[in-house]
Amino acid sequence: MKEPLLTVHDMEVSYGAVQVLFGVSLEVRAGEIVCIIGPNGAGKSTVIKAVIGLVPAQKGQVEFDGQPITNSPAHEIPALGITYVPQGRIVFAQMTVADNLEMGAFLKRDSHKRREAVQAVFDQFPRLYERRNQPAGKLSGGEQQMLAIGRALMMNPRLVILDEPSLGLSPKYVDLIYEKLLDLKRQGRTLLMVEQNAARALELSDRGYALELGHNRFADTGAKLLANEDVRRMYLGGA
Amino acid sequence: MELLEPEILLQMLINGLLAGALYALLAGGLNLIFGVMRVINIAHAEFMLIGAFGAYVLFNVFGLHPLFSLLIIVPIIFVVGYYFQRVLIERVVDRPMLTSLLATYGVSIILINVGLLIFSSDFKSVPVLQGSFLIGDLAVSKPRAVAGLVSLVLSVGVYLFLDRTRLGKAVRAVSEHAQVAQICGIDVRQIRMLTFGMAAAMAGAAGVMLSIIYSFWPGSGVDFIQKCFAIIIIGGMGNFVGALYGGILLGVVESFVGGFISTQWAEAVAYLLLVTVLLVRPTGLKGVARA
Repeated sequence: MKEPLLTVHDMEVSYGAVQVLFGVSLEVRAGEIVCIIGPNGAGKSTVIKAVIGLVPAQKGQVEFDGQPITNSPAHEIPALGITYVPQGRIVFAQMTVADNLEMGAFLKRDSHKRREAVQAVFDQFPRLYERRNQPAGKLSGGEQQMLAIGRALMMNPRLVILDEPSLGLSPKYVDLIYEKLLDLKRQGRTLLMVEQNAARALELSDRGYALELGHNRFADTGAKLLANEDVRRMYLGGA
Repeated sequence: MELLEPEILLQMLINGLLAGALYALLAGGLNLIFGVMRVINIAHAEFMLIGAFGAYVLFNVFGLHPLFSLLIIVPIIFVVGYYFQRVLIERVVDRPMLTSLLATYGVSIILINVGLLIFSSDFKSVPVLQGSFLIGDLAVSKPRAVAGLVSLVLSVGVYLFLDRTRLGKAVRAVSEHAQVAQICGIDVRQIRMLTFGMAAAMAGAAGVMLSIIYSFWPGSGVDFIQKCFAIIIIGGMGNFVGALYGGILLGVVESFVGGFISTQWAEAVAYLLLVTVLLVRPTGLKGVARA
């Protein structure tokens, strides 16, 4: 079995006096799509925010490609090859689509390299190219999600972490986004995502982790989790 | 009525645009700081006066023309602002707004009193330019023309920096969403330092330009900071371009009110304009509603 690309070991996180994670562990191997599912308040988003340095972990280790990266500052994470698509498809609304993408490659100091990377994203997302000079705030929700994903590809990352990529999108765009995620996998990228839409996410995922109140509850392949009676009852609305 | 003759109206308009350009440069810096870190720098006009007194000293000690002083003062105030952010503002930036208001208010009081110790409360000026440029029937005061045009060039320069360059775009990105900017690899602390340095340098440049058109004393900041508050609300809180529009609008309206009614009324104009704009557009001219 391949060495894991990302390992989270026994992570604990508190917001002030409120502890949200009580020793969560997970691993993501190169080329996989892994999803974290769980109800609201399970700590799904907190796990990934702690991985990328947006919230401090009080305890536990994060390793990427064999290197410890626990509590690295968030702005140093993209250089390691990890990028992030935030929940709620947050784009820089007053900046143009092209400038939004350029910010994804902020760490590339050479403007030619930034432009090449923007062009590569435009090739994958022709819709963004059509709207390149418009302020990102004028895009539809689905287009903004495309833009947020495109921005996360600018550094040519090995691992893309997505927080609720389908939240609040129309069914048409949910399909489109999921298709894009599979494309990314085919390009050899590794994906870790948090999803409220658990059934849909598990279908797509190689493996999944189900969290409950800040603890690991289930961990298995996507297909097995989907077939598991307890998982169906607790996480998939009993369907 | 004589006042309605086109030459006089045009004269008022030009004077207003030139005065407005100076306001725009000053308020642009204040709004940049607010946009990036949600901090209102009460001491902003004191940074302006550092520029004005700097020009005064360089003129009286070395005989340096303020246009040359600009080249010395602007970089120095940039560095001062950069470290001022690091040492003081960075500590209050994520606190409730009252904390940063009090901190910068304290700095303002300190700077005013240091100014009084060094320069006393006498009015100073730097009388380098006299007379007017005559363009047809129009007479534009030389110091006002120079101050206005230099301010305009600097404001446009800052605009182009924000609009076109990688670092300038990063400043805008941080101002829109600091956390997402951070996960793009932007070191938000560094951007804040750059922003404060730039804003202080803009205020300092405005001060140098002020020194050739007005008399000033260490307490002159109050009038300007009050106008700046009005301008950034008129233009839209946190929006750099909005502050430029707001500053120029205020300059022009003050000029017309001064011409038609009385210059004493011109002082009240900022607030009348403020109320009017807010009634029509609560977010200001270029403002965006924020959650």
